Amino acid sequence: MTVKEPSAAPPGEGRPEGRRGASPRRRPVGRPGAGTLTAFIAPGLLLFLLFVLLPVAFAAYVAFFRWNGLGGPPTDFIGFDNFRNLLGDDVFMGDMWRLTLLVAMSIGIQLPIAFGLAMLLHQRFPGRTVFRLLFFVPYVLTEAVTAVLFGLIFSPRRGFADSMLQSIGVETQVGWLSDRSIVLFVIFGILTWKFFGFHMILYLAGRQNIPEELYEAAAIDGAGGAQMFRNITLPLMGPTVRITIFLSVIGTVQLFDLVFVLTGGGPFHASETLAITMYDQGFGRNQIGYASALSIAMFVISLVFALFYQRYVLKRDLQGSLTTAGGGRS
Amino acid sequence: MRQPLSRPRALAAAGAAAALALAAAGCGDSGESDADLVWWHIQNEDPMKSTWESMAEDWAEGSGLTTDVQAVEVEAFKERMGTSAQAGELPDLYNTWGGGVLAEQVEAGLVRDITDDVDCLDKVNPISLEAYTIDDRLYAVPFDQGVVGFWYNMDLFAEAGVEAPPATWDEFLDAVAALKDAGITPIALGAADQWPVHYYWTYLVMRTVGLDGLAEAAEAGDFSGDGFVQAGQMLADLAAMEPFQPGFESAGYGAVDGQAAHMGEGIAAMELMGQWGPEVQRQASGTDGPGGALGFFPFPEVTGGAGATAEFLGGGGGFAAGSEAPDEVVDFMCYLLEEENQAKAVADGNFSTVAADPDAVVTDPDQHIQLVTEAMAAATGTQLYLDQAYPPAIGSTINEASEGLVLGQLTAEEFVAMVDDAWAAEA
Repeated sequence: MTVKEPSAAPPGEGRPEGRRGASPRRRPVGRPGAGTLTAFIAPGLLLFLLFVLLPVAFAAYVAFFRWNGLGGPPTDFIGFDNFRNLLGDDVFMGDMWRLTLLVAMSIGIQLPIAFGLAMLLHQRFPGRTVFRLLFFVPYVLTEAVTAVLFGLIFSPRRGFADSMLQSIGVETQVGWLSDRSIVLFVIFGILTWKFFGFHMILYLAGRQNIPEELYEAAAIDGAGGAQMFRNITLPLMGPTVRITIFLSVIGTVQLFDLVFVLTGGGPFHASETLAITMYDQGFGRNQIGYASALSIAMFVISLVFALFYQRYVLKRDLQGSLTTAGGGRS
Repeated sequence: MRQPLSRPRALAAAGAAAALALAAAGCGDSGESDADLVWWHIQNEDPMKSTWESMAEDWAEGSGLTTDVQAVEVEAFKERMGTSAQAGELPDLYNTWGGGVLAEQVEAGLVRDITDDVDCLDKVNPISLEAYTIDDRLYAVPFDQGVVGFWYNMDLFAEAGVEAPPATWDEFLDAVAALKDAGITPIALGAADQWPVHYYWTYLVMRTVGLDGLAEAAEAGDFSGDGFVQAGQMLADLAAMEPFQPGFESAGYGAVDGQAAHMGEGIAAMELMGQWGPEVQRQASGTDGPGGALGFFPFPEVTGGAGATAEFLGGGGGFAAGSEAPDEVVDFMCYLLEEENQAKAVADGNFSTVAADPDAVVTDPDQHIQLVTEAMAAATGTQLYLDQAYPPAIGSTINEASEGLVLGQLTAEEFVAMVDDAWAAEA
């Protein structure tokens, strides 16, 4: 790694003398001209405006109308009614509750499992690479394929899961996906199966970045394994843990494909997510206005969480890597 | 290491990158086509897929126009239609079930009014045009028309000692109880798909308040009458007997281990389904189905109710034309309705015929389709599936509430309140 250089200075700033010597050859290394900067930034900015900000703005606009999406622009302005209805909608409130539950289980169960496995796989033992590879494989599958796969596993009559239970003498059929009280936990299990490998790789990378000298020094000072874990590993893994929590929460807010293909959100909303409700309202019922309000709610939830999390939790981790308005660092 | 690009090269690179990105964003599979006539249908399995394709080719040869026939799986089809309609552009010819969904498209000015152009309607049974007629204007031609009723396995009924198909709801409940006692799953149901459940509620409503009562309620957007609550309660009572296969809550209609597969494998004794039932039983189970043991009986009557057994819930499939379609699309519709082509479609697609003169079209009737045809011939009234007859928001609510009711998550009163709320929001 080379030493950091102030490469991303805004155009026009910091090189007032630059223009005099007009030749590109004499420009200092790492300081592209304003034209170059514009040329590189403009396409990305344009696409971002066109395909991200504009749709968001449009959705925010449509959210104030009752609109079925057909026949020209929306005209039936209803103010905040769509948002008010959201708060009284059992399905939406249920989605929020299920989101909270999934986030809590992800942080409380899924990430610790991934963390533990990463610590194990950091040890030296034969076949270590094979295990790392195997644990990462589920993450490579697309969510739709995963859903079809587990749909077969948990199929009520001939499913693999029930057959396994029968072979060890358990005869009762478990309604893996049909019992409203357990379907969400089954889905959480599948999510864990699919994503623990991803988090594990991040943890493994984080763990490998901790210099071994620290452990050697601690060992010389007489620290035991538990002490080293508590005082070296855990604190130094902090940035990685915080970023995985962030990714996990945002991913859970947007959860759609896997659940949609596996259960469609059923039975009777028991596994429904915000994104599925939005899809159902928008494309199943042509309630584009209401669905837009829901999508804005999702957007706000993600945005508020992201801002607060970055501001308060990731603060130290992000220092130096982001341009902040206040410019806390020099 | 860090060789800065010279300005011209940098600009060229940036330009190229931008052009590529924009091109990539613009391409995608937008379903755009250069053909004169784009046709979306949902018969995505052979033989019917090839049959439509070859009909389009034959017609294209004669007319000099080019055609682009796209066979789309039904759920994917609904999605594509949804987004296309919202983009304000429908295919030149597309599958429709008529009713409220079609009406919404018509209201948005996306559908071609064919009332005055199409001159071959003498070839079809007028009943089959009802679903596509909105405010006395016709928007589609039919290719399939049938009714919903109970498909039942006569062998399993005999095994449970049920002699004759039940004629009243009480007899029906007795039959369910008898089947359960005999260790047979009385009813196959794919509750996860919701619409198979809504047939039960709709039929019970048709039997309690009658077709007129249902039409009045839809007109007023008020489903809170006694008959509606009673129908919901009857369905809830049926569900309380646990007549469905284990895991029905998460079962789909045509899925592996779903409703149709349970019938096809001879595990469940009956299902409430439309004219396509036997075909899907065979496809979903990968078997030949119950074959000759499969019978059909109309939904039983409710003692004291206003409805009659000869009133059927039903519907079919038709083809509507997008408003941008070339004028020749009407010729193609008529081409499809030529008796020779109707005969081919009925034979290859296992459709229930819409022909004005069935004998001219159906030479070698499928034994099960024949049961539907006979029921239709005796019908004194029909009602289109509610999830198609009503606007999507209300149809979906009825489907959703039907699922909630059989899962014990909603009461009959909550059911009608949900439907009324949906009507109120639509008005």
